[in-house]
Amino acid sequence: MLAIEGLNKTYQSGVHALKDVTLDVPPGMFGLLGPNGAGKTTLMKILATLLEPDSGTVRMRDTDLITEKHRTRMMLGYLPQDFGFYPSLTAEQTLHYFARLKGVHDRKERHSLVNALLERVNLESARRQKVGGFSGGMRQRLGIAQALIGKPALLIVDEPTAGLDPEERARFHNLLAETFAEESVVLLSTHIVSDVSNLCSNMAIIRQGKIIASCAPSYAIKELTNSVWEATLTREQIDAVKSRCKLLSSHMYNGMMRIRVISPRERPGEEFTQTTPTIEDYYFNLVSQS
Amino acid sequence: MVHPFYTPFFTVFRTEVLLNLRRVAPYFMALLCGGNALLWWGWGPAKGRGLAANSEAFISGVLPIYSFMTLPLFTAVIMADPVIRDFRAEIGPLIFSKPVGRFIYLLGKFFGSFFVLACGQAAFVVTLFVLQWFSRPGVTQQGVKVVPYFKHFLVFVVISHLVLAAFYFAVGTLTRNAKIVYALGVCFYPLIMSYNLFFLNGLPSRWARTLDPLVMRWGQKRGDVHTLSAEAFNTLVVTYDAELILNRAVMLLIAAGILTLVYRRFIIAEPAQKIHFSFLNLSTASERISFEPLINWDEQDHEARRAPLALPTVNVDGTGVRASFRKLIAALAIEFRLLLAERSIVVIIPFAVLLSTMEVIFWRVRPDGSSASYVTNIAGNSLLFVIGISIFYIGEALQRDRDLKIESLVWSQPISNSVLLVSRFLATLLLVCILLGSVGLIAVLAQALKGDRPLELMTYLRVYFWILIPNAIFLSAAALFLKVLLRDRYLTYIAAIGTCIGLFYMYSQGYNRWLYNPLLFRLWKCEDLLSGNNLSQIAQHRVYVLTIALVLVALAHLFYQRRSGRRVRRAR
Repeated sequence: MLAIEGLNKTYQSGVHALKDVTLDVPPGMFGLLGPNGAGKTTLMKILATLLEPDSGTVRMRDTDLITEKHRTRMMLGYLPQDFGFYPSLTAEQTLHYFARLKGVHDRKERHSLVNALLERVNLESARRQKVGGFSGGMRQRLGIAQALIGKPALLIVDEPTAGLDPEERARFHNLLAETFAEESVVLLSTHIVSDVSNLCSNMAIIRQGKIIASCAPSYAIKELTNSVWEATLTREQIDAVKSRCKLLSSHMYNGMMRIRVISPRERPGEEFTQTTPTIEDYYFNLVSQS
Repeated sequence: MVHPFYTPFFTVFRTEVLLNLRRVAPYFMALLCGGNALLWWGWGPAKGRGLAANSEAFISGVLPIYSFMTLPLFTAVIMADPVIRDFRAEIGPLIFSKPVGRFIYLLGKFFGSFFVLACGQAAFVVTLFVLQWFSRPGVTQQGVKVVPYFKHFLVFVVISHLVLAAFYFAVGTLTRNAKIVYALGVCFYPLIMSYNLFFLNGLPSRWARTLDPLVMRWGQKRGDVHTLSAEAFNTLVVTYDAELILNRAVMLLIAAGILTLVYRRFIIAEPAQKIHFSFLNLSTASERISFEPLINWDEQDHEARRAPLALPTVNVDGTGVRASFRKLIAALAIEFRLLLAERSIVVIIPFAVLLSTMEVIFWRVRPDGSSASYVTNIAGNSLLFVIGISIFYIGEALQRDRDLKIESLVWSQPISNSVLLVSRFLATLLLVCILLGSVGLIAVLAQALKGDRPLELMTYLRVYFWILIPNAIFLSAAALFLKVLLRDRYLTYIAAIGTCIGLFYMYSQGYNRWLYNPLLFRLWKCEDLLSGNNLSQIAQHRVYVLTIALVLVALAHLFYQRRSGRRVRRAR
């Protein structure tokens, strides 16, 4: 549905942010996972018509997203990573403003749309409050509300949960899951693996400007079935383990290191127990390979 | 012992100097001051009268005037935000988590900025100093001098502006709002004139001289040097008397007092009323922070079971002229609302209205108290504010989206660049028209209440129609074009103000032609509009000016770029 082909972008500073990115994004929620500085935001900005690529094409249905900017913007809903609102406007005024810019001119229709959006994002009680006083989560929800105006065929959400507390993240996940309509594409860019595993039916992993994997999360987990092992070891033991198998992740636990390793053929040691693989394991495995 | 260059004070000082050197304002100021010195030297009052341009009397006479005429606005621009900048960049907490005390920090910030300011100001004396080696017909010079330039500069300019700088620094640091400082900078002349008129004039002359921050009165005390012969003038030795020394000492003490006040009142923490998610402290945001109650998980489960609310289907009409026009109206309404929410408006508009109408309210309107005299008076008095407001608020309107980080949201909407630009242009124009309308209304009321007859509304309307409104349109268009072209708002302010100063200087020197006087400054009389003698010529000029305005808006549209506006560099 959304076809990205051979996309390249180099900034004036010389940073090669996207290197020949080719990706087919089917309808539904699509997660774009990658570490900070991988090129996610650059890709999102290009799709949102805010940045010009050096080469490559992006098409959705019969629209070229690079050249037909006005048409693209008509079907686009965009929630950037770092954004603000006019602090002196209320939530309601803000949504009316964006609805009018989008082309919803009929007053009655606009009122009912704004009411429904405020209800959807659970901001009805704050509708007459100035946006300048909103908390991070409320602001983020207002952001998604403005992105939903006009039922966009392409909804781009860039790092939406960064900085939100767990409650707000859960709320935001529910909201996103509810909002996507069939035949529309929701592109969720994030570096938080659980965002993708909770929400997306398909995903891609981007690193250093290159797409290094594109698959369904279920496939990713299936690929690692019976290969991921977990153990709690001392620091000294870890070095020995590293020579035998590939370390996926490690974290401190009660003065010891709890590690996860990948070993498809055999058990890496007696202290290891087999564990269910996660998207995080898949991600770390790929990132370390690349 | 720590080397002085590695002390925290010097580190803050040095960083502040480096930060200021990356700004355009100091260079522009230096350029302007240098140019000013050139004019004083080659085209000033000394020329052709045998007065030596490097005599002590000339240097010491010129410096207070130079200090008064050119510099206060620059002092406000440079001293407004040394501390605000750190808090805006959210680097304050990083600095204060290091062993740097408030005292050292403030001192380093103040003197770092003041050093750059003084260096910029020094371009005037340095230029005069260098010009000693040049000659020009009519300009008399004595043997090369060194000390008088720098000695008088230190006494007449640096100390005066130290007080002013401390005041602006204090306001900026304590309010954390650079706009207030800029407003004070703009209001400098009315304020200092009021101070002289209502305060110093009432004091005994000795006290008045002691409390005169710009030592303008000290020159008066020396007597009228213009009556001296050239020979006497050139040999005049300028010595600082006790009154001047006392004045300078008082000014230094006041500066120290202001800085002490800043030190005592300055808090590292953000002010309690900080507006969250507002990136430009201009607008009136809500007075409280909204937090929702903690999630009730039972309710959450209930919510989860509930089917998601369907959004109503709406007609989206995003293309075509009619849709664009409707979007323009929507954008204009919001732009105007945002302009009115600017905090500075509360001060500037009433102040501008007051100063524009003060003369017609409080004094006899010359020459005959007719409507023509009234409207000519307010047209002249409001000109400066119309220029300032057009330039300043176009800059703010075009910069606001970037400052608030809403640019990407707005730019991803299906709206054309013309909607974005024209809405800002019209909103600013509307603001200027409201100012002019208020001024006109007050003038009419004043004339009616004072009983000056005849009260002819058509005279007012004619002046507004032929002169004031076209001027406002031109100024808004020119400011829009400059802002789009230069991108940086401060650069725009400086370029616009510099151009205005240059043009008005030219007009005052007699180079005043219709072709390069788009505001018709001193080129129209009310009688021309009433009698119709020169009306066709004025009409032609207005068409000419409005055409230029249209071209400027079109050029602004041409040069305006969203981030994606760069030409595609790809092979297809």
